[in-house]
Amino acid sequence: MAEPLLEIEKLEAGYGDVQVLWDVTMAVEPGEIACIVGSNGAGKTTLLRTISGLIKPRGGTIRFAGGEIGGRAPDHVLGGGIAHVPEGRRLFKGLSVRDNLMLGAYLRDDREAIEADLEKVLELFPILKDRARQDATTLSGGEQQMCAIGRGIMARPKLLMIDELSLGLAPRLVDRLGEALIEINRTGLTILLVEQDVMTAFEIARHAYVIETGRVSMAGSTKVLGDDPRIRQAYMGL
Amino acid sequence: MDVGQILANGIVLGALYACIAVGFSLVWGVLNVINMLHGSFIILGGYLTYFAWAYSGINPVVFLPVVALILYGLGFAVQYLFINKVVSAPVLTTLTLTFGLDMILYNVMTVVFTATPRRITLDLGSVDFFGVILPVDRVVGMALALILTGLLYAVMRTSKIGRAIVAVRMDRQAAELMGIRVNRIYAITFGIGALMAGAAGAVFAMVFPVTTNLTGAFLGKAFVICVIGGLGSVPGALVGGLALGIIESFSGYVLGPQHAITVGFVLMLILLVVRPTGLVGVKGYE
Repeated sequence: MAEPLLEIEKLEAGYGDVQVLWDVTMAVEPGEIACIVGSNGAGKTTLLRTISGLIKPRGGTIRFAGGEIGGRAPDHVLGGGIAHVPEGRRLFKGLSVRDNLMLGAYLRDDREAIEADLEKVLELFPILKDRARQDATTLSGGEQQMCAIGRGIMARPKLLMIDELSLGLAPRLVDRLGEALIEINRTGLTILLVEQDVMTAFEIARHAYVIETGRVSMAGSTKVLGDDPRIRQAYMGL
Repeated sequence: MDVGQILANGIVLGALYACIAVGFSLVWGVLNVINMLHGSFIILGGYLTYFAWAYSGINPVVFLPVVALILYGLGFAVQYLFINKVVSAPVLTTLTLTFGLDMILYNVMTVVFTATPRRITLDLGSVDFFGVILPVDRVVGMALALILTGLLYAVMRTSKIGRAIVAVRMDRQAAELMGIRVNRIYAITFGIGALMAGAAGAVFAMVFPVTTNLTGAFLGKAFVICVIGGLGSVPGALVGGLALGIIESFSGYVLGPQHAITVGFVLMLILLVVRPTGLVGVKGYE
């Protein structure tokens, strides 16, 4: 088996007096779509925030593409190749769709390649082309998510982490976004998806980690986990 | 005196006011820091330009970019070394810090330059424009002030740094996820605020006498303009500056010049009650 792109071992993290993550160990293979599922408050977002450097880990290691990145500042992590699409899109108000997308490429200097990537993003989500000059926060929820994903792609990462792809979106839009992610993945970009909606996540991803109260409770291929009665009962309501 | 002349005087004054306030507004809007140093930065810019002109005899416009860059460096250093340590503290903490730094700068300037009013005299004469008489140095000052304000607007709207500054203003954490080093952007923003103050001071010294006794008055003006026009945007400072200049000009004529400042502050109080976002401002810091 190839060496994992992202490898997390015994990770501990939290805020102030509250520890959220306990002994989290997981790995993402290069080229795959993996997902982290779990209920609200399980620690999924904290895990992504720790990986991207917004929170310092208290213990354990995070290795990416062979190097240790645990505790590095966000600009180091992004520069190393991990882009984080945050929960709730968090687009910048007062800036156009185009400016928001360009901010994704903030750390890059290769002007021509940036323009080419911008074209690719606008091809992937043609609606953004029509809205390019509009204030990004005036877009609909689905369009905002497209813009946020596009902004992540603009960093030209090796790993794209997306927090709550489906949150607040109609099922039809989620399907459309899922197809787009699979399309992006085919170009070689590894994706780590975080979802409360297990059905959606399992349709898109190949591997899954289930997080409960800050610990990894189950892991495996989504095909196997999708048939597991515990998962079906707890998360799919079946 | 006819209305055209009063209006023209107000616009000239207003353009200078806009240039004075725009850096203050930027720092307040982006960093949520009320920069008490702003008035002293303006006077420092004025003095540096004056002395450079007095000793060399070269046209002071040449020194404007140099003075602006010196002030940028000073502002960057102040933010990086001091304010960044407490920037996320409540606004009173940063206000007290900049107030203390201002006392140091103010007193150093008074010792080094003395408080004697100084003015660059260019003797360019005046022009008669349809019966409105305008001294040429004031027209040049107004043009320079508008050019500087316009340049800042262009930088904020079209450059990568401008985008990053807006991003930090709107969502600090999301900006970090773009790889933006927030403390560095803070220092650059404060540096730009000081740069605009220094440039405004340089322009001011070509039109009116500058003295350290004016630092408080400039700070007060910047404050009023931000409230009138709205916080954290270049158009807000421009509208606020022009509005204050014209209002002061007219009320000075009607009520006497000693009341012009009072009218400005009364107007600020009314706007705070009626329209706290300012004439073109947006609500809050979001």
